[in-house]
Amino acid sequence: MDIVRRTIERYVTLTEAEWSAIAPCWREYAFGRGSEVCAVGEVEQRFYIVKSGVQRLSFPHDGRDICVGFAYDGSWCGEYASFLTRKPARFDVVALTDSVLVGIEHDDLQKLYVEQPVMERFGRLILEELLVGRAMREIEQLSLSAEERFDRLVKRSPQLLQLVPQKDIASYLRMTPETFSRARKRR
Amino acid sequence: MSTEQLITDLEHILAGQRARAVEIAAMPAGALLHRPEDGAWNILEVFEHLNLSSGIYVRGLEKVFALRAARHRANPEFRPGWLGDYFTKGLQPQPDGVIKWRMRTMRMFDPGRQQGASHASIERFVDLCDRFLALLTIARTTDLNAMRVASSLGPIIRFKAGDALRFPVAHQRRHFLQIERAVQRAAMDRK
Repeated sequence: MDIVRRTIERYVTLTEAEWSAIAPCWREYAFGRGSEVCAVGEVEQRFYIVKSGVQRLSFPHDGRDICVGFAYDGSWCGEYASFLTRKPARFDVVALTDSVLVGIEHDDLQKLYVEQPVMERFGRLILEELLVGRAMREIEQLSLSAEERFDRLVKRSPQLLQLVPQKDIASYLRMTPETFSRARKRR
Repeated sequence: MSTEQLITDLEHILAGQRARAVEIAAMPAGALLHRPEDGAWNILEVFEHLNLSSGIYVRGLEKVFALRAARHRANPEFRPGWLGDYFTKGLQPQPDGVIKWRMRTMRMFDPGRQQGASHASIERFVDLCDRFLALLTIARTTDLNAMRVASSLGPIIRFKAGDALRFPVAHQRRHFLQIERAVQRAAMDRK
């Protein structure tokens, strides 16, 4: 549970009373390598914080998986849009390594938002962060060259290069595996 | 063998396995993922293996019972088919807990080569036990000698409905021994 408190406290400070109301709503879930955290068409039941392991967010297109993001220790995981809207997921979330995720059910989070004002603030702050992140990525995708996109990734998340299969990173950067391999060799 | 005795025994075993699965689902996630040895299954993978293999019988029986169970009268005697009996006896643990046959897992039942295993694998197993138990209720009212179901050994080998209930439960007993060993190892190794 430490990971949950630490992660929430990156955004807001919790009193002991607040934490004792929040903690029981979270539970650990195990996902073996290759298993689905959420699949296209399912409704995402939980919002997760990653305790260990790496997960991939992707969607199937033309018989291939297009990778749009990764989650690892201390970051968010799950199909957030489906979790919020209660509509079928558009993305697959797959555990790339054995993963332990700490999750909260939709109803429990909504209840916390109502009963604990500090959690509503937390919810707003993570949404802001997710929104800014999306905007940045959109700009990078549309304006940078393949090489520049690779450089940004290496600077921002160097650990990914070791944790994730190269074909997934190539797909994430919208490169062919060949272009990715050339970009990597130039470093 | 007595149909009533068979059904009561299977109900007893399945209720025990179901209850144990619920307990195990509440264990720390790290213990469920713990691999007792390199290349050995973790606890979640054993459950997923049971879902993949027992699922064939549960789906097969649900289908055949829905179509034909009502046409037969309850038969107090079940006579196992020889193949079904042979495999059930060879597979199930001996009274002293010893496993008689070593078996190689077929690719289609290997969770490592299929979609992987997660917490949901245990939930699906609990659901499978409930469906099994519902089938046993129907089994009391019909003739388990009169219907056949494709087996997990391949569609060519078909088991009598009674054997299609006995075999997967025996197979699950065998793997529950493996699960208990993995639970102990996880407790030891994670200290």
